[in-house]
Amino acid sequence: MTATEEHVQTSGLGFVGQSVKRVEDEWLLAGQGDFVADRLPEGVAHAAFLRSPFPHATIDSIDTSAAKKLPGVIAVYTGAEVNANTNPFIPLIMLPDMYTPLFMPMTEDKARFVGDPVAIVLAESRYIAEDALELIEVDYTDLEPVATMSQARNPNSPQLWDKADGNVLHDGSKVYGDVDAAFAKADHVFTETFSCHRVTNQPMEARGTVVEIGQDGHLTITSTSQAPHAVKWAVAAMTVTEKAGRNFRKFWRMKERRANFKAARKAFLKEHMPAIRSQDRSGQKHQNKRENPTKHQLKMAMGLLASEDFPTVRAGDIGGGFGSKGSVHREEMALIVASKMANRSAQWIEDRVENLLDGGQAREEEFTMSIAIDDDGTFRGLKCHFDLDYGAYPSFPIGGALTQGMIRVYMPGPYRFPVFEFTSRMMATNKGKQLPYRGPWANETWARERIIDIAAEKLGMDPLELRQKNMYAAEDFPTKMVTGPTLDVTMSCKGTLDRAVEEVRGLDLDAMRADAESRGKKLGVGLASYHEAAPGPPDFLDSVTPGNGMLANEEARAVIERDGSIKMYTSQSPHGQSHATTYAQVVADEFGVAMDDVEIVWGNTDTSRFSFIGTGGSRGGPIGGGVMKYSAREAREQVNELAAEMLEASVEDVTIENGNIHVAGVPARGISYADVAAEAAKRKGSADGPAFEVVRDYRGHGDGGWSVATHVAVVEVDMDTGQVDIPKYLVVEDCGPIINPKIVDGQVRGGVAQGIGMVLYENLVYSDEGNPQATTYMDYLIPTAMEIPEIDIIHLETHSPGENDFRGVGEGGMIGAPAALTSAVSDALGVQATDMYLPPTKILEMAGVIDPD
Amino acid sequence: MKIEVGSEIEVSFTLNGEARSASFDPRRSLADVLREDCGQTGTHLGCEHGVCGACTVLVDGAPSRSCLMLGAMADGKDITTVEGLATDGVFNHVQQGMWDAMSFQCAFCSPGFLMSTMALLEENPNPSEEEIREELSGNLCRCTGYQSIVDGVMASIENLKQQGGE
Repeated sequence: MTATEEHVQTSGLGFVGQSVKRVEDEWLLAGQGDFVADRLPEGVAHAAFLRSPFPHATIDSIDTSAAKKLPGVIAVYTGAEVNANTNPFIPLIMLPDMYTPLFMPMTEDKARFVGDPVAIVLAESRYIAEDALELIEVDYTDLEPVATMSQARNPNSPQLWDKADGNVLHDGSKVYGDVDAAFAKADHVFTETFSCHRVTNQPMEARGTVVEIGQDGHLTITSTSQAPHAVKWAVAAMTVTEKAGRNFRKFWRMKERRANFKAARKAFLKEHMPAIRSQDRSGQKHQNKRENPTKHQLKMAMGLLASEDFPTVRAGDIGGGFGSKGSVHREEMALIVASKMANRSAQWIEDRVENLLDGGQAREEEFTMSIAIDDDGTFRGLKCHFDLDYGAYPSFPIGGALTQGMIRVYMPGPYRFPVFEFTSRMMATNKGKQLPYRGPWANETWARERIIDIAAEKLGMDPLELRQKNMYAAEDFPTKMVTGPTLDVTMSCKGTLDRAVEEVRGLDLDAMRADAESRGKKLGVGLASYHEAAPGPPDFLDSVTPGNGMLANEEARAVIERDGSIKMYTSQSPHGQSHATTYAQVVADEFGVAMDDVEIVWGNTDTSRFSFIGTGGSRGGPIGGGVMKYSAREAREQVNELAAEMLEASVEDVTIENGNIHVAGVPARGISYADVAAEAAKRKGSADGPAFEVVRDYRGHGDGGWSVATHVAVVEVDMDTGQVDIPKYLVVEDCGPIINPKIVDGQVRGGVAQGIGMVLYENLVYSDEGNPQATTYMDYLIPTAMEIPEIDIIHLETHSPGENDFRGVGEGGMIGAPAALTSAVSDALGVQATDMYLPPTKILEMAGVIDPD
Repeated sequence: MKIEVGSEIEVSFTLNGEARSASFDPRRSLADVLREDCGQTGTHLGCEHGVCGACTVLVDGAPSRSCLMLGAMADGKDITTVEGLATDGVFNHVQQGMWDAMSFQCAFCSPGFLMSTMALLEENPNPSEEEIREELSGNLCRCTGYQSIVDGVMASIENLKQQGGE
């Protein structure tokens, strides 16, 4: 069934498919939001960090005595004092032949980048805390900086991490098929190197954490986290203090807990043994040889087993994240430890300079691409060498290892490449941490589409036709990418490509070109296609990181209270995705009620189920939405059964319309959710607990699959100023059935805007000495309403045979835009762009109007 | 006039139509005074160096960066923040326009955009799209790509017209 039709907004009975107005706006537009900095609990202390002004320096001494005496200061701790009260961050996802340093919330021996936290102050106000920072005296000794990937590869450069082998933390390769034979046989091999600069996510709300210590010592943590459960377990594990043996004995004496653990472990292994057996242990072995985390893992595991109090992690409204708030951050852990040490509730609200220093950085990558191609344009093979500027500290729990794996698996894209060779390295440098940013693998699309454009030019072929010739089409399915994942009917990229080409052919390019030239401008058209696993087939994650598919699991609780009110507990942590609206649409349709009759509850680890990733990776629609749908459906079935008894009818005849549960055809004698809930409560006997409760987990297997798009950029380049205008930008996108069209449009446009920002305006520059040059918004240029054009969107809707068919669309805008834009600028100038960053000076250099520096 | 550390300054102003007085450390920004001393946390801080616009409030009707103003400068002024736009829980024309157009996503930037739009429409009730984009280029948004916000301003203008242009 491959019904592809252009999406027309349905006004059918169901809410799914309608641009229902946002539930969240009722409080957000009234200024009644509940953002982390708005919490301000009674008596909370304000934290500020003393950060290293040097990129690479030993810390010889710290004197905090003067700072401690300042009126209003509650406590001052050095990195050593905080680190003494916490376990390290340990690597979770490990690659073969990769060393991941074990690292601490603060630094005590050596500053590894400008911004590395050296000391923390807790004071009555942020103003006093920052005054105190200036009274802390630190003696540094400069070390030679490691500020570029080439410096990192130089064996003489000082090592950032003692247990590493130099500053190249990873050097690996993976070969798919007989690459040498294919390259030898092909008519041509074209090779080019592409380099992308460093950028940063920059949500409008920086990070923040509030720690409230209860009388009983219980921690309630409010965090701008996209994954509150990851914060909960990381805090619980890292604040374990007793030794492993002591905790094990304590656990052993807890008979009931021991029995529960045994049962849970048995069930887990039974379900996941095949996956666990397929895990690639070589990464762990390589890591253990260099720096064995086992003793920390054991200590933390035993601590978790014996612990009887786990922190509550809350997330209220969050002001964007784009991946940067999916990590458990060093400052967050340092604040929690310091707050416990001082036994004082405390908050750290990050300011913009801190966020530009270490709020999250990304994309500083280099690709050397080689494409084997025949005269007729048939792709014969692909090679990619990938270098990543890793920064100083890893991000936790998701960082370079997963990004590298996804770039490897995605690189062949939606094209038929029979063979593929991928070699990769990661270099540690004196910079802020690299972490996921809206499609963290996205540069694979840019590098691939660039080498395809170059191959087309060298063969004298139309780049659009070259893509059409080599892209998988519907009749090829099912098949497998050369890197492993299965492609099915949902990989409908060809449909978006053909439609985009049709739109481009429809433009009167000659007239547009002449008009541009009459104004001293050059016209360029660029196109780029990609596919994204959102959620992707089961074998997608297995191709990236074998055996770790369970990490993508998502759980949910469907509750019908005794008064009939419906509450759906999601583990998602929305920060702009509008889940309170889209999930209400899905669930209202399942229960047959109005949207006001359902409440979507999120942001509290005490009431929501575990989720490792939380909100990220375009999982909100397919997986977050899917588990909402299936848990609601199961609860609805239980209601149907009880209602059938109450109405003395068979289950099949029971129907629900706008909350009226009745025998089909006899709405007048219907009953309500409140009636059925009351009956269920009576039958339960116990005084408390909801009338109905369903817990479900879901990973999207076999249901939805790929989300795809083709982007078209039309640019005008001013040959005097080098300014690039975008008179037309089109996205032809297919993410299957859509829950809320206007919300999807917003996600696509937001991603494209960040792509435009990355190519034309944003550059997180570090000098060759490792000094950050863009630490305010006067230097790091976020595009405004003047720089972002109208973005046209065409929605195609390919249905998969699976039942839950929503597919993710949050990241796509930023995957397609950089490739389409750089392609368009190259077309305008007649010079192939090999850099991602194309500010006016670069454009004029490429055009030969000015000489390079 | 030498101000002792730890001393406080007494300031009185009207906030969303209500007479207010507050005493605080003289170096506190107006944004911090509104948020922490007056408990009006609708005004947001995105950069604290005058670029992102999330802290925009109206001071005697003029759009102002409350992160760059000292709280002391509010003395005797009439200040409007996002919390002052609705009347008895009913959105005003700009809030309703942005809701109808589904302008925002995370909406952390929305207080600034709402206040800037109020000032824009006060000064020019019928701006073109170019004028809207230029006037709002002092407010950054990272989620939407701005098109939905421009649509929200257009919808606000329609709302105002329907409300008889009061």
